[in-house]
Amino acid sequence: MREFHPLVKRWLDGELPADQLDAELAAELAEARALLAAIDRAPVTLAPELEQRVMAAVRKRPATRWHRAWRWIGEAHDLRLRVRPWAVAALAAAAMLVIWLAPARQVRGPAAVAQAPESVYVKFVLYAPGAHQVSVAGTFNGWDTHATPLARAGTQGVWAATLSLPAGQHLYAFVVDGQRWVADPTAPGVDDGFGRRNSILAVTPHGARVS
Amino acid sequence: MKNVFALLITLGAAGPVLAQGPAADLLTGRLPAEAAAQIRAIAAQASARDLPATPLVQKAIEGAAKGIAPARIVAAVQTLADQLASAAGAIHNGGVLLPDSASVEAGAFALTVGLNTAQVRILAHAAGSNAQRATALRVAGTLTALGVPADQTVDLVTHSLDSTVDLNSLSGRVQAGMAHGQSAAAAAAGISHGGRPTTTNPHRPATPRGGSRKP
Repeated sequence: MREFHPLVKRWLDGELPADQLDAELAAELAEARALLAAIDRAPVTLAPELEQRVMAAVRKRPATRWHRAWRWIGEAHDLRLRVRPWAVAALAAAAMLVIWLAPARQVRGPAAVAQAPESVYVKFVLYAPGAHQVSVAGTFNGWDTHATPLARAGTQGVWAATLSLPAGQHLYAFVVDGQRWVADPTAPGVDDGFGRRNSILAVTPHGARVS
Repeated sequence: MKNVFALLITLGAAGPVLAQGPAADLLTGRLPAEAAAQIRAIAAQASARDLPATPLVQKAIEGAAKGIAPARIVAAVQTLADQLASAAGAIHNGGVLLPDSASVEAGAFALTVGLNTAQVRILAHAAGSNAQRATALRVAGTLTALGVPADQTVDLVTHSLDSTVDLNSLSGRVQAGMAHGQSAAAAAAGISHGGRPTTTNPHRPATPRGGSRKP
């Protein structure tokens, strides 16, 4: 791109008359004049059918409601709010009515919320004062001695855990310190086939029972 | 017709195979390979006889968790398989053509705690549906485990089946009596005398009961 002298640029911009330019810039000035002369200064006229084509294309794609809505949101609007005392009172009354008519939310404990329809929460408790670790294993956890640990339950020597068990009969035993299998002294027992006792627990949809 | 026979033969052969499926896979890593294979074989045999195989695998897992010697685990599983077979036979003799798994399992439990096959048969005959049969056998087993004499247990449960008494409440009531110093037999007798209702359960079908009984 041709770069003119700053004084020639000022002449091009109409800021400086040509006679104030030095003679040494005469060649450059002539060149600039030739360039200006080459520019077609005739007014631009568009063919009449072009406007029709453009407008037809614009009409084909009218702004959708969403576009108009979005545009409206983006635009600034004057908002005038007149608060009438009787309207405030009516709104407050309506809000009170909605709150009063809405169904009362039932407050439920976490146990009830997480409970499956056919499951019941059962609390296992064992008094084992000398124990360092107690768990319960049974048919409900594949006899896994680590799956269901009991926690100390406040009182000295009392261990407890609450489980969600499916309806049905379950056999179980406590495991004290990872080695000693202890039947639940509060539940009926049955021979486990290995010379020990399992405790019996039946869970019905109505609750846990010893049957 | 040939296709039907082929399907039946395939399904029959699939039973023992399925018994060695996911449930039996639980034995891997818990027992020595030889003991696991023996238990899988017992489970397959039980499945071939339409007996539930899952309790057998569970018993093996229980034994492994308790650190029992493998040979003793296999013996206990075989004993349980025999009890399942005895229970299924007793229920069948009670008029049920195809005993369901839950009833067979409950029947085996009842046999374990001291009921005999004749008593299981009586209870199976007295119950009106599969669900009621399984519950009756399970409750009878628990009452016996609590110390109620077997004959008295059968009497209490069969009478309860004829009434509106909730079977599931029986053992709890016996335990409550025992908590007040009664013997299990006395507590059960208290239910029999004081709790036996005179109304007939309207939901219980009239005999002959159930749709799966032998003609």
